[in-house]
Amino acid sequence: MIVRLLLAALAAGLIAGMAMTPAQYVKIVPLILQAETYEGGGHDHGAAEAVSSTTAAGSETPEVTATAGQDHDANDHTHDEGDESMLGLGRLGDTVLANLVAGAGFALMLAAVALIAGIEFPAGRDGLMRGLLLGAGAWFCVQLAPSFGLPPAVPGFPHADLADRQGWWMVTVGASALGLWLVALRPEWVARALGLVLIAAPHVWGAPVPDDISSDVPAYLASAYAAASLATTLFFWLLLGGLLGHFLSRVPAEQRA
Amino acid sequence: MAAKIQTLSLTDRIGARTVAGLMALVIGSILVFGVGLANSQALHDAAHDTRHSYGFPCH
Repeated sequence: MIVRLLLAALAAGLIAGMAMTPAQYVKIVPLILQAETYEGGGHDHGAAEAVSSTTAAGSETPEVTATAGQDHDANDHTHDEGDESMLGLGRLGDTVLANLVAGAGFALMLAAVALIAGIEFPAGRDGLMRGLLLGAGAWFCVQLAPSFGLPPAVPGFPHADLADRQGWWMVTVGASALGLWLVALRPEWVARALGLVLIAAPHVWGAPVPDDISSDVPAYLASAYAAASLATTLFFWLLLGGLLGHFLSRVPAEQRA
Repeated sequence: MAAKIQTLSLTDRIGARTVAGLMALVIGSILVFGVGLANSQALHDAAHDTRHSYGFPCH
């Protein structure tokens, strides 16, 4: 059943998307708020001090970030005031909603790749492991590969033209996905070599780089942010992949038709 | 009779998997594009923290 496959993907995406919000509030959102005080050159020391307490507690390892995805940390709600929201949900509400939509979207795309590439999910541990591998591969294509050229950026980061960066980002994600499929799932060595070329090509071409890379945002914030973003999204993609593998393995074989 | 059903469900299965995959690809792309890349100011503001945390090009 087509509908059951889509619903399985949607369920995995909504769960992973829901877990993403608390995971972001561990480290990413405090760093964004801290960086925003430097954005546009305005140094708001009062606000910087207000968020410094959250970053002091934010130096956890990725493993801690992953486990903290379960607990709903309430101490960041004080930063929500004063933000206009198109849905009247406030900044936290908007982020929850955006994470749910992003989770559903990424889950459907990941399920699409699995279905079109003919990846089967056997019941039990094998399905889960394949899902985790699929999630790790997606993390490489969507997060790690683009981050070589366009490192995850806090607000106030120096940036090149938005359309150029978005174009390069989409090409890189697509080329990395196709390349990874060729390398991992095609037996012919010519295909594997072509896959490596595809993965490397966007980086040889080069990402758009701003003319002036000086910034008011402290380098410490920026590098902490890049690491936090990669760690948090790794948690998201592994959770999504594992759930997807598990859920798709539970769609009965005769219903996968 | 039984053989015929077997054949039908096999072709059905290959076709339906691809159809489900393409549907998921289209719907998923639209959702991801809306959250991560769409140029609308309202969408940008609402998805701001999400865009930054996933490393989408932003600002």
